[in-house]
Amino acid sequence: MQNMLLLTLLLPTLGVPFVYLTGKKSAKAAAILVALIAIADIALLSTTVPIVLDAATEHKYVESYYWIPILGSSFTLFVDGISLSMAIITLILILTAALFSVNYMQEKKGLAEYYALLTLLSIGLVGVFITSNLMLFYFCWELMLVPTYFIIGGWGYREPYRAAFKFFIFTHAGAVFVLLGIGAIFMVTGDLDMFQAQTALMTAQPELVKWILLSLTAGFAVKMAVVPVHMWLPDAHSEAPAPMSALLSGVIIGAGAYAIFRVSLGTVFPAVMATDFGNQFLHGLAVFGVISAFFGSLIALVENDIKRVIAYSSIAHMGYVLFGLSLFPFQEAMAGTALHLVNHAVSKGLFFLSAGAVMKQLGIRDIREMGGLAGQMPVTATSSITAALSIAGVPPFACFISEFLIFVGAFQAINSDGFYVLPTVLMLVATVLSLAYALRYIRHIFLGPTKLKKAEEVPFFMKLAMVILVVFVIVLGIWPTFFLDLITTVSFG
Amino acid sequence: MIQILDVSLPIISFVLFSLLTIPVVKAIRKRKSKTTVLTLGWFSIVFSIAAVPVANLTIKYYEQPSPQPFLNITLASEPFTIFSSTFMIDAISIYMAIVFTAVGAVTFLYSIFYIDLSERPSERYYSVMLMIIGCIIGVAFSGDLLTLFIFWEAAAAGSSFLMLYHKTPKSLHATLKYLVMIIIASAFIVYGLSIVYGITGTLNFWAVRQALTVLEDKHLLVTAFIFIAAGYAIEAAVVPFHMWLPDAYTAAPASSSAFLSALIDQGSYYVLLRVFIYILTPPTVLDWVIMLAVFSALTMIVGNLLALAQNNVKRLIANVCIADVGYNLVAITSVTPLGIMGNLYFFLVGGITTAVSFMAVGILNRMGFETLEDFSGIGRKMPFTSLALLLSAFSFAGVPPLAGFIAKYLVFTSAIEANMGWLAVIGVLTSIIQAAYLLRLINYMYAKTPQEETKIKEPKKLLVPIFILVAVIILLGVYPTIVLNLIEPVIQQLPFIP
Repeated sequence: MQNMLLLTLLLPTLGVPFVYLTGKKSAKAAAILVALIAIADIALLSTTVPIVLDAATEHKYVESYYWIPILGSSFTLFVDGISLSMAIITLILILTAALFSVNYMQEKKGLAEYYALLTLLSIGLVGVFITSNLMLFYFCWELMLVPTYFIIGGWGYREPYRAAFKFFIFTHAGAVFVLLGIGAIFMVTGDLDMFQAQTALMTAQPELVKWILLSLTAGFAVKMAVVPVHMWLPDAHSEAPAPMSALLSGVIIGAGAYAIFRVSLGTVFPAVMATDFGNQFLHGLAVFGVISAFFGSLIALVENDIKRVIAYSSIAHMGYVLFGLSLFPFQEAMAGTALHLVNHAVSKGLFFLSAGAVMKQLGIRDIREMGGLAGQMPVTATSSITAALSIAGVPPFACFISEFLIFVGAFQAINSDGFYVLPTVLMLVATVLSLAYALRYIRHIFLGPTKLKKAEEVPFFMKLAMVILVVFVIVLGIWPTFFLDLITTVSFG
Repeated sequence: MIQILDVSLPIISFVLFSLLTIPVVKAIRKRKSKTTVLTLGWFSIVFSIAAVPVANLTIKYYEQPSPQPFLNITLASEPFTIFSSTFMIDAISIYMAIVFTAVGAVTFLYSIFYIDLSERPSERYYSVMLMIIGCIIGVAFSGDLLTLFIFWEAAAAGSSFLMLYHKTPKSLHATLKYLVMIIIASAFIVYGLSIVYGITGTLNFWAVRQALTVLEDKHLLVTAFIFIAAGYAIEAAVVPFHMWLPDAYTAAPASSSAFLSALIDQGSYYVLLRVFIYILTPPTVLDWVIMLAVFSALTMIVGNLLALAQNNVKRLIANVCIADVGYNLVAITSVTPLGIMGNLYFFLVGGITTAVSFMAVGILNRMGFETLEDFSGIGRKMPFTSLALLLSAFSFAGVPPLAGFIAKYLVFTSAIEANMGWLAVIGVLTSIIQAAYLLRLINYMYAKTPQEETKIKEPKKLLVPIFILVAVIILLGVYPTIVLNLIEPVIQQLPFIP
């Protein structure tokens, strides 16, 4: 079959009305339908795994369809090791988010719309990862925006539309700068295919390429929530319903990082790599990475709102990713960064889901008022602890291995560029901070004396969703080989 | 071979039907039964018959063996060139004729349901609408500045009738303002035209263009084109001549606002395009690029800031129209094929999007919702109307996969291509403002809780034309190639391409 990727996008597209109509009858059935669509998508994507692993196909799988020739755009769907890993992990998160919602969203209204929006979101999310055409990329990039806005606004907490508004304006502002960059690429190269454009940009005027690079990276950094453009994140992540937080923190900000990796560094950066500016750019990424990591970790350490702790830890982790990206083009660091995106997505998804479980059962969100839940909610406690330790980078959980790879890359970089000494040391310190907030989180919520009356364990589907992710976090920690094999098929620089 | 009849038949048929409409509608009204069906039937006959000459012209133009850049068809005999009137048929005029007929038909459908048939002068309203479509097609076909001027003024005068239809004190005031503005504008234009005729001896686009390249003393020419450009800028509502537009579109019935924003506004950009691109290029003839760039930046900034401050939703949409003028000017300013492509795409998409939002707001206004506060929770009370307004708002903001996105993308890219990165950056920044106030509107519609939860019955008939246009917005966003293929021949004929 030659249309696997097209089907991957078509399936949820055609699924939206069905999910909506099913949801009108039974919300549970709609959730299961969303999950089934995700599973079918995973199956479709996995058929490309052998092609990507095969050296004969240059580790790529491409489908191209007629679209807008005048604008140098064809409907090009493309996967290589990294994009395939990201797409699969995205679908796994959508699957678990849908399952989790069955119980979590139970008593909310308008669930048919909720599940339809979730399906719509999955098109954009998966599409971002599986295309090599910048126009299509931008379509999917913005397609993430609208469903997210309505999901946060419609089913969130406290003043949800306020948070959603902030999210929309910030990321849309970022997106228009991306658009400016894409427009400039088209104007310079006459082509919007990432790989064609990369070759064409090599001969372009370096001054212009510099601005394109900055404009694109600034735009992506907003989605990635790098300090100082992170302001939307704590609100959006903490006010969104837990399944949405899991997606936001797991893959939407990850998509920002992926975009910097694929478009900024992959397509535009090679043209200025040899210049002074190229070096400064990478150093700049490292600096912002360190700032983000410290800022996020320190605030997570003093924050008392259960979801805001995790939200700030996402900023910290995007700091790691950005630091990893600044080590371009060291193979270990790049592979580590890509793997970290995968691992972080799973761990952070689990983290938010388990926090949602706690919030739902207790009805409060201040961690100082909680305590001793480990005995009462064993599954939730296990998931939270697994997630927290993974986020802190403790072996044998998922994030350890990828952070380790990033640091290996950092030490290689130090050999050739003295600048990286200080950032690397600081990043190591930030790792300690992340362990501190993770332990604080666990201690406050699950250990110590019981401060509340008896809390019940969560219902079946919430448990199921969390258990799936726990398995992933542990398996990816012990045996990262599957994704690592995929990721290392991509060569950098 | 294209004859004079082929060219004038689209115009003539609209004008003829416009005259016939009055007795026909009167007769239908007398029957008192099945009036709606009969009116619908009559106007579908009108539009299907009027579409034939447009289609005929298109086919004849594209089946010519060797594609000629343009076709001049003169009405008068040679010695009296002063009285001659010329039609010029090229790819762009055919594109515009198709757009005007198609968009005109859909907005017309809305008007039939919106303007109550039993009202006394409603037949005149319909008749004037048809007349305007005829005139605006005439504008598209004009081959010289004078013909252009005559058709354009006829259309503008007609639009004042549409604004005034309900004769409220507000609309009287607004229409008066509009009339004063267009009279000043036409005075400017005529003055400019007389100078152009004086120095070049002709008003034909291509003849003027050629005469200008050999002209040595350019002082008078500068004066002339400042007058002409200022005149048309007033009618296109370029800041600082924009004041009439929000008043007029707010006071007019929603069907008029939708119709005028889709046809007259887009027509005015077309006129600017003809004057600047088809006469004054390459810009070395007369250096107007920077001047126009400043005006477009001003229009984008002022239009969006004004919209940001609006509390009345219809007025907010009217201010979006002004901002759109700015984006269109950016495209003209770039003087690049990509920019013209963006501009032509923007004509269509911007027109449709403003039309949809005026139509949706029109329904809501009828229910008594006017300000942002009134719109609270409308998303739950009137889901379909709100959905249309939501989608048009996202299209304005340039969110894919809606058509507004491709339009904005082309415009900004063309600005970069023309080495005016600063203009692109202003465009991007103002479009963030635009996203902000449109999202504020959406926030009111969906986030705020209404005072009463009862569902309101939505007028299904009015929703039909709205959703036709919404479908077009989505279709053109996902697959813009349909229209871009129509525009491509225009790009190959641009005069500044060697």
